[in-house]
Amino acid sequence: MRIKSSIFGACLGIAASLLTACGANNDPLAESSAQPSGAASSSAAEVVVGSADFTESKILAEIYSQALKAKGVQSSTKLGIGSREIYIKALQDRSISVVPEYTGNLLLNFDANATATTAEEVEEALPEALPSGLKVLKPSAAVDQDVYVVTKDYSAENGITSLDDLKKIAAGATLGGPPELEERAYGPAGLEKIYGAKFKAFKPYPKYPPKISDLDANKIQVATFFTTDAVISEKGYVQLEDPQSMILPQNVVPLVREEVASNATAASALDGVQALLTTEDLVALNRKVDSERQDPNQVAAEWLANKGLA
Amino acid sequence: MNLFDYLSDPANWQGEAGIGYLLLQHLGYTAAAVVIACVIAIPLGILIGHTGRGSFLLIGLGNAARAIPSLGLLVLIVLLLGTGNGPIVGVLAVLALPPILTSTAAGIRGADRDAVHAARALGMSGSQVIRQVEWPLALPLVISGVRSATLQVVATATIAAYSSGTGLGRLLISGNANRNYSQMFAGALIVALLAIVLDVALGALAWLTARRRHAPNKTVGAALAVST
Repeated sequence: MRIKSSIFGACLGIAASLLTACGANNDPLAESSAQPSGAASSSAAEVVVGSADFTESKILAEIYSQALKAKGVQSSTKLGIGSREIYIKALQDRSISVVPEYTGNLLLNFDANATATTAEEVEEALPEALPSGLKVLKPSAAVDQDVYVVTKDYSAENGITSLDDLKKIAAGATLGGPPELEERAYGPAGLEKIYGAKFKAFKPYPKYPPKISDLDANKIQVATFFTTDAVISEKGYVQLEDPQSMILPQNVVPLVREEVASNATAASALDGVQALLTTEDLVALNRKVDSERQDPNQVAAEWLANKGLA
Repeated sequence: MNLFDYLSDPANWQGEAGIGYLLLQHLGYTAAAVVIACVIAIPLGILIGHTGRGSFLLIGLGNAARAIPSLGLLVLIVLLLGTGNGPIVGVLAVLALPPILTSTAAGIRGADRDAVHAARALGMSGSQVIRQVEWPLALPLVISGVRSATLQVVATATIAAYSSGTGLGRLLISGNANRNYSQMFAGALIVALLAIVLDVALGALAWLTARRRHAPNKTVGAALAVST
């Protein structure tokens, strides 16, 4: 009986300490969101950099966060949050305050009827489209766009090199992409409306490996990737041209909360990254993580050291 | 947004991504996995229970198999073999094996010893003892094993969507990615209802077999009469 009660007591003790630990964890978050405007003194509030759930976004988030730290701004990361629909919410409820973004898709997310097509037009339209509380910093020259691809063999057999050619095969073909593509303006709906290609089916792939193996096995015929994905050149996939500019230019841009934009130290740290980042860098960074299995954390640190930013 | 929006739109029930098709796929995975697990686990369980050998191995393997993370195993098999129905059914069968195996072995082992001894005394061969005494006595326990395996499999089959968007898990994954909560709700609700329906059906089957057990069984009755 005594043993039992002491075990029970110990359990209670553990439970209690867990509970207080949770409470303690919550406090700093609550504080930082309670006094966002008082955070102007650069390092007072921690800048949490979030990322979407794919390699490049995670690397960019690491680069941003480490660049902030190098300038003396307290920063941490929350990687792999999910799709745009989810991390925008996280920005709005202040769980994160910076997230690497892409100009074109960000614009479409807030303004589905945007008419901008060139990089400059998109850059101009973007600030006005953002909801209050959110700002973008300077877009970089680095571009990473969604791209539809087919395998080399499939392209040769069916004569497909452009989205315009898809209408020839769409009725009997399956399209694969991330689950969110199904609802995006440049997804199945856009292909049908702009290029007249209505696919037999759409298959959602939350992760890359099954999508790649299905594309190679001809279980899906067309898939979307990002132009900076190392796998495209490794597998020799054919990127389909987009003569109607259905997919908008996607320059890398930090989407931030207004507190971060008005914090001169933080903004200049991020602008420093933006000024030096190139598309080739993105391809190389992705390859290091995806193909060479390096840690995004270290890959980001190397890049910053090479560019003299940290 | 109304949670029932997705369910109430008839367009969402049709086609290859429609609820009807996904439901059939989900049921197909569940049935195939449970049948395969039965085919492997029941004979093995009978063997172990009847001979009394290998129960140490059984307990060890059973517990180890319970610890296998299904999602991890699925991703591993998909990477090795590619996507398709095979890897999914295989992973789910692995999940269904331990409960069926352990309950079959326990049922056979736990069959009334007096009845088994009496049957032996009557001159029954080993296989006759299994077929006419041990198996009928073990049946309710075997069915309860199949029942808990089915419940686990039908709930876990949602991970099939992780490999290539098949089964009811697709509603959860697509709904999550697109912040379409009524779609996620539809997926969760249907999986939960499916689990309840299957459990009630198998529960009824268990009840029926348990009732039959109380009806006079000639062989066992005679054996008992001789032994007492």
